Amino acid sequence: MQITDEFLRLEKTTIPEVGDPLGQQLMDRAKTYFGYELDDVKTYSVITVDKTMSEMAMGLIQDNFVNPVTEISSFEPLLKKAETEFDYVIHAHWGAGVRDNPGATALEDLLDMTPEAQGASVFSSKIYAIKGGVSKEDVEKLAAEMLTNDIVEGFEVYTREEWDDNVGIGRNTPFVTLNKEPQLDVIPLEDLTDEFLQKYSDERNLALHPQDIPIIRAYFHRDDVRAERRELSLSEGPTDIELEQIAQGRSDHCEHNTFKGIFTVIDKDTGEIVIHDNLFKKYIELPTIELAEARGGVPSLLWDNAGVDFFGPDHLYAITGETHNSPSNMEAYGGAITGIVGIYRDPMGTGLGFDMFMGAFGFCTADPEKIYQYQAKLNARRLLDGVIDGVKDGGNKSGIPTPFGNILFNDGYQGKALVFVTALGISEREIDGVPQELKTIHPGDYAIMCGGRVGKDGIHGVTAASEERTEGTPKGHVQIGDPYTQKKMQDFLIEAKKEGLIRFITDNGGGGLSSSCGETARQINSNGTSGLEVDIDKVPTKYDGLDHWEKWVSESQERMTVAVEPSKFDRFMELSKKHAVESTMIGNYNENGAMKITSGGKPIAYIRGELFKEAFPQWKFEGEWSSPEMRGLTEPVLKAPEDLGALLHKMLGRPNICSKEYIHRLYDHEVQGGKVIGPLVGTGENGVPNDMPSDAVVFQPVLGKKTGLVFTQALIPQYYGIDAGHMTAATIDEAVRNVIAVGADLKQLGGVDNFCWPSVQYHPENNPDGKFKAAQLTRTCETMKGACEAYGIPLLSGKDSMYVDGMNTDPETGLQKRISAPGTLQFTVSTPIEDVSKVVTSDAKEAGNLIYMIGTTKDERGGSEYFEMAESIGLNVPKTDYVANMKVYRKVVEATQGGYVKTSKNIKRGGLGVHLAIMAGGGNLGVDIDLSDVRTDKEHANDVIMFSESTGRMLFEVAPHHKAQFERIMGDSAYHIGNFTQQDYQVTGVNGKLAVDEGIMGLKRSFKKPNEDKCYVRGP
Amino acid sequence: MVTARTLVVTGFGLNCDKETAYAVEQAGSKVDLKHLNELFANPKMLREYQNLINGGGFSWGDDHGAGQIYAGRFIRKAGDELYKFIEDGGLVANICNGCQSATTMGIVPALGGDYKTPSVSFTANDCRNFRDQWVMLEVDPESPCVFTKGMDYIPLPVRHAEGKFYTDQDTLKEIQDKHLAVMRYVHWNTKERANGEQFINPNGSLDDIAGICDETGRIFGLMPHPEAFHSAVNHPNYTRIKDQLENVGMEMPTEGMGLKIFKNMVEYHK
Repeated sequence: MQITDEFLRLEKTTIPEVGDPLGQQLMDRAKTYFGYELDDVKTYSVITVDKTMSEMAMGLIQDNFVNPVTEISSFEPLLKKAETEFDYVIHAHWGAGVRDNPGATALEDLLDMTPEAQGASVFSSKIYAIKGGVSKEDVEKLAAEMLTNDIVEGFEVYTREEWDDNVGIGRNTPFVTLNKEPQLDVIPLEDLTDEFLQKYSDERNLALHPQDIPIIRAYFHRDDVRAERRELSLSEGPTDIELEQIAQGRSDHCEHNTFKGIFTVIDKDTGEIVIHDNLFKKYIELPTIELAEARGGVPSLLWDNAGVDFFGPDHLYAITGETHNSPSNMEAYGGAITGIVGIYRDPMGTGLGFDMFMGAFGFCTADPEKIYQYQAKLNARRLLDGVIDGVKDGGNKSGIPTPFGNILFNDGYQGKALVFVTALGISEREIDGVPQELKTIHPGDYAIMCGGRVGKDGIHGVTAASEERTEGTPKGHVQIGDPYTQKKMQDFLIEAKKEGLIRFITDNGGGGLSSSCGETARQINSNGTSGLEVDIDKVPTKYDGLDHWEKWVSESQERMTVAVEPSKFDRFMELSKKHAVESTMIGNYNENGAMKITSGGKPIAYIRGELFKEAFPQWKFEGEWSSPEMRGLTEPVLKAPEDLGALLHKMLGRPNICSKEYIHRLYDHEVQGGKVIGPLVGTGENGVPNDMPSDAVVFQPVLGKKTGLVFTQALIPQYYGIDAGHMTAATIDEAVRNVIAVGADLKQLGGVDNFCWPSVQYHPENNPDGKFKAAQLTRTCETMKGACEAYGIPLLSGKDSMYVDGMNTDPETGLQKRISAPGTLQFTVSTPIEDVSKVVTSDAKEAGNLIYMIGTTKDERGGSEYFEMAESIGLNVPKTDYVANMKVYRKVVEATQGGYVKTSKNIKRGGLGVHLAIMAGGGNLGVDIDLSDVRTDKEHANDVIMFSESTGRMLFEVAPHHKAQFERIMGDSAYHIGNFTQQDYQVTGVNGKLAVDEGIMGLKRSFKKPNEDKCYVRGP
Repeated sequence: MVTARTLVVTGFGLNCDKETAYAVEQAGSKVDLKHLNELFANPKMLREYQNLINGGGFSWGDDHGAGQIYAGRFIRKAGDELYKFIEDGGLVANICNGCQSATTMGIVPALGGDYKTPSVSFTANDCRNFRDQWVMLEVDPESPCVFTKGMDYIPLPVRHAEGKFYTDQDTLKEIQDKHLAVMRYVHWNTKERANGEQFINPNGSLDDIAGICDETGRIFGLMPHPEAFHSAVNHPNYTRIKDQLENVGMEMPTEGMGLKIFKNMVEYHK
């Protein structure tokens, strides 16, 4: 690449009459993050082209990139001292080699506009002119900690004196210049010892497990392997690309070695020892297969990129969920957008390809309102804002609704915050007689890489996810997702699939080509063989100088690997061109049983598929359980006032209870026209409908059909501190109640389990409570099996992220402290619903209607929101009786489908008091209930009944004229506790006195106020 | 009687194409869904259609302003045929991203019949961010717009980051005088004008304007999404309305009100 000094720089900004919303947002955030009161911020968008062009081309650029009504622009610096009052200028730009989406779209259009753009590169950046009484250090802090992240971006700060009107920011062209020939590193076979491999793994961040190393070493020393390599003229010892391939294939992220390990758990209370051999097989795989068979089969389970279940008679839906924690903790926006866009490639790479119709998110962070002594790379507020924005752009720009998500704050996420992403896709069951959930490679098929080019981005993301976050975590693994490129690719692949052009498809996510090609090389072909040969020189790169292994493991996003039969190749490429998607044939599938990579016609890697089938030893873990009582947990001593009104107000405003409307409003939940129930329901206030959260969402992925899909997720990590087993039962029970609350039945439930666990490998210094964490994990898995069997939920898909720990630093002293997250299980339940016109929502409908309840309220406030408010954990965690609950839930389904339930609301975190307020608030109605009518196991105080989190409980609104039918179906499972009224929330206590007497609108204020300023921003 | 043919374009990040095509079909038109590159390769294909829909999405990622690249590319590749299509009496509905593009192209409001000079813009929301919510819209009964004939009020969702209607005072006055401001944001219950009140008017649009048309009424640009209200179940208070109707012995209609806009489009050609 020839780099010259010539360049073109187009700057643009809005005219004063239009205002500067981006500048205003920056001022808001400067105040929230740092307490800086800025007077004004003016923003300028910049594109820099690394060559000069003719006047005519420059005119074209201005015509096409600048809005003539609202913007002004210039090829000279726009910011002039004489014209604008400012004290400082920040220029923020991408780092070399980081995905620059605006730069890429600008280049795409320039190339279409003028032949002069041939060979050009385009870079985007932003200028902020700041006025305000802050120091240069303050401005540098703003730039470094708010506007940019040194992992992906850079900045320069100019004072007014330093700013040169004629030069401006100068030339911003952050090229990657590697200036070297691709290298291949060969390890002499005689050097290949276990010690060497361990050292090599540490140095290159391969994260090889010590137990795996002898097997890998032995493979290369085998006589038959050596003979074969000689015949191929391949080095005797492994090449770097081979070891990278093996490490990627064996990483915990890909292989789930922890879940397949052997856990020896001792119960210290009883002395009993239990050996759990392969948690995955025992508690996930086998029960799921049985459950699937029990309901007549599930189309595709446990092997593909997503699980597949039936959706009505003619369609299938695919679902999967995962986390994107490590990158999001380094660069929140980039991590989250890469996560959501990445998960959309999983259904796309399932079967012959599913079209996305819905996504979901889950954010678990430290409390953004708190100041923590031990700090991570990003503070919680910045991290949360970043991940919210990342999912916003990733979801919205993909044209996929993002209607559901849990947001949860807990001090335990200081070390590592969690970002969950979930994707759902839809497909015809068959096209031209071809079942869409199956896929088979035929020897001779072409291997084609579609989508973006590869660069240094994301190298070693997978192995980094298999480690704790430390100072040494490689920064190169963070990247910026590109929903625009992926949307084009998705449109293309769905059209290709409908034409029957695809034989096999899988995504290039973690591990890049090493993962997708490694996986397809081992995939059993139509004739029982397997094998793939790839020419690494054909892989298109963003810039020259990448080593072979870098191309192979690069996680540059928005790529899929597709197998296409040779006769359909031309048509495939024609469609690719129509959709402006880059596709490249990089190899052929064969019958050789190995993964072979060549460069310049010579082999540089040859690994037999059988290496990965070798009996790698199971990882071993020790567990140690003792009951919460033995661990010394006790109930706090609390005495509630007679009037619980103030307590209820405070509960409704707590960070984990209060309204998250501001986040849902940022996410499109209407696109594709399938929304039936979105994230928010209710009459609303001030003329904006829908302001209360729904327990579940309902979408119609196939327009014109009555069938819908019900979706929900639950997570209650607050119970982990007492007992992860009961946590798991409560979580799954909550998710089941959520779906029946909107009208789903129990015939075809599907589950997705997403585990995020702190490290379970005991180490006396580094992880002294590792045995307890391991025991908690086994309890969770055992309980999940029991709950799934009771509720009939096969696990369609699931993922685990096993290292949610971090070393945080006290900036005052430099002292570092290890912080482990609570073991977290996000459980998803989805199910088709036959007729969406019969759905039920959770917002109360009419004064005078009756309020019924199911379930028994016990003194189960251990780990509850109420105890958390009282700065306690407690002991009495909710315990779940699935079998008893299931009997009642069946009646709930019958009553709801009979049309006798006007409104249905799940009682979950915060208890009866909170969820009755959310239900009533949805209709801006009051309630009049009597706590002595609430079924309890024994006598309890008012605050216990109002705030206990006993599972198996729900609320229903029933019209007086449906009373008899409702009661006939429900029998004694449901009981009447009061009525909806005009506007006052009145609760009579067990002693007959009023325990709560509050206006509903006031309670709604308390629920909405904490985040209202984030929603209701006054414009310029 | 001729059945109208409608072209819905897609590709390059547009994403409302499927439900738009579905709604148009429900409204009784034949519909073709084509990639923009197919149209650009053969702009004369426009001659086979009576209606064109530039729909919602994030064309080219909206990286350089919403609809900015779309507008330039469309005019460069198919501008002449588009102008001919308009001149020959074709209807163009421009929804959300399509509306942002159409105003940047200048085909709406096209004051004085000038379809080449942009005079208004839909720019960044006052709330400084993307926002998804349902709004209540008042239709100007004196508007020449053929898409809104016989309509008075309609609830629809908005989902955009750049939907604030902006123009200079003279242009605004001309638009008002000629009744080209087809739709305005109003209060949900009282149906009074929003008068800029935050989130009744969701983005800070001048004069609460949500949709505009050209002087012939055949070119329509609107930020709300009629195609996302093709079925009654899309309504944000579907269960509540159904309950209220049932209480007085009435049945819930199955169709969404957004279809009316596409039905008017089909009806126009009859």
